[in-house]
Amino acid sequence: MDYIILSVTILAIGIVGLVTKHDLIKMLIAIEMITAAATMNFVVFGSLMNDSLGQAFAILALSVDACVTAVALALAIVVFKKLNIRDVRDLSESSEQEFSTEEEN
Amino acid sequence: MLFETVLAIGMVVSAVFAIYLKETISSVLSLSTMMILLSMLYFNMNAPFAALFQLALGAGTSAIFLLAGDTLTKKNDAKTSTKTLLVGIVASAVLSIPIVVGTIAPQPFTQSAKFSLSTALWDLRAVDVLAQGLVILTAALGVVLLLKEKRRQK
Repeated sequence: MDYIILSVTILAIGIVGLVTKHDLIKMLIAIEMITAAATMNFVVFGSLMNDSLGQAFAILALSVDACVTAVALALAIVVFKKLNIRDVRDLSESSEQEFSTEEEN
Repeated sequence: MLFETVLAIGMVVSAVFAIYLKETISSVLSLSTMMILLSMLYFNMNAPFAALFQLALGAGTSAIFLLAGDTLTKKNDAKTSTKTLLVGIVASAVLSIPIVVGTIAPQPFTQSAKFSLSTALWDLRAVDVLAQGLVILTAALGVVLLLKEKRRQK
């Protein structure tokens, strides 16, 4: 059960990073950490139960995780190129301003 | 057991620094270090294929993606202050306590006796592998569409 402590610790660090950081790339790093902690459980329980299904699930999860990172980064790049924003707070402010301008019109 | 504990503490320390360091490049390097240590842990658990994938995708591909994203959206990063560094060291020391007290990996892991990885992946989870191919294709199309939109706007 001790690997679970490690997994939960990494998960907690990732969640703290996701909540406290406002930079888009830093938030992605935190998401990577959370998925690594989740994937770790597949391998740990697979090894404990003595079958390879855990490894198979881990491989599938890792591939999907790489896809998620690629799409999220593409979105971050588009947001930066269009609005010159990398901070999530600025992004929400700018969307609020756009919304209020539309309402005024 | 000492080896696993050292790996686990290294993972926690590098994870804390990946979050606390102000420079994005340093954060990505810390994350890669964490992924490399995780891959070593997998290898130690007799899960060599998961270790290989973790090393290739977690430490390699994701780090390249993140570094490319950082380069393409470059802004002046603030420098990490000594106070932030100290907070990071203290946080990682505190978070390492449960791992040291809990002692990582008391049980020996053995090689799979039920069935091989190829059986698990290609026979038992063949539909999942196909669906995963669809997910990868959709993600690639999504990235292409997003970046194409950007080029058209120019």
